[in-house]
Amino acid sequence: LASIFSGMDPATTSKSNHCLDAAKACNLNDNCKRLRSGYISTCSRELSATEPCSRRKCHKALRQFFDRVPGEFTFRLLFCSCKDPACAERRRQTIVPSCSYEDKDKPNCLDLRGACRADHLCRSRLADFHANCQATFQSLTSCPGDNFQACLGSYVGLIGFDITPNYVDASTTSITISPWCSCKGSGNLEEECEKFLRDFTENPCLRNAIQAFGNGTDVSLAPKN
Amino acid sequence: GRRKRARARHKPCELRQLQVSVSDLGLGYQSDETVLFRYCSGTCEAAARSYDLSLKSMRSRRKIRKEKVRARPCCRPLSYDDDVSFLDAYNRYYTVNELSAKECGCV
Repeated sequence: LASIFSGMDPATTSKSNHCLDAAKACNLNDNCKRLRSGYISTCSRELSATEPCSRRKCHKALRQFFDRVPGEFTFRLLFCSCKDPACAERRRQTIVPSCSYEDKDKPNCLDLRGACRADHLCRSRLADFHANCQATFQSLTSCPGDNFQACLGSYVGLIGFDITPNYVDASTTSITISPWCSCKGSGNLEEECEKFLRDFTENPCLRNAIQAFGNGTDVSLAPKN
Repeated sequence: GRRKRARARHKPCELRQLQVSVSDLGLGYQSDETVLFRYCSGTCEAAARSYDLSLKSMRSRRKIRKEKVRARPCCRPLSYDDDVSFLDAYNRYYTVNELSAKECGCV
């Protein structure tokens, strides 16, 4: 079936796509629609040939979106489950990564962490993420207190800061999350850097939380009003 | 049937809405995203002003002959809704303004 679909027009291949459903739900809600188009237009507005967008304004608009729109909309957009690449690419595109995420070069992850820690809000959001998504062997789900909700919430809390995480590709089989950084040039802090990066890239708690949300097996999400 | 149609025709000017795909808007964008399209529909019979009555009179007395004039108010948006953004089938984002009506009136 996949081979039949792959040759088709891109506009018709994305039927029954959970990420598309999430966009629909947002568009039909006035508040979600307004704040979504708020960050999309800001993040995709070209300034000049050398500056594709204002990252500062884009991050601010993203923070407003995730702060002011209930999780029943924002989580669906970010953590929708996908069976085909078109869906996974849409999921990856949620935060307009060309502006909010990617950069010309990849900084060192510890430098990025340092930049985050210099901002009091980023610092506390990162601490929340480490506390709530810390992989543990003491629970069934690998999450502290089996609380997927808390982990996803603190992941969302990092979007729009220096440490903004995202899906690294449009893979449907394996979910890999990372901030835009690498551990090259860490010197003798290589081990610490790798440990920090693995909290995103190889974190079973975060991965399980995202998968459980996408599959609808995490029933604890009560609509936040 | 006819009665239902007649009744629909006599509805006063008001805001209505449809859920449509972006491709259906006919603006040249290819996207399966669904948006809410709000539009103005209904009659404006009750909203005729002295202006309209006088204009009609001028026309019937042939004081206005060649020009195109409209002696009836029509149901149109008074203001438009906020911008709408969407991702197209080629993974590009677009933002469209003044797509939907926000408020309708007989103008």
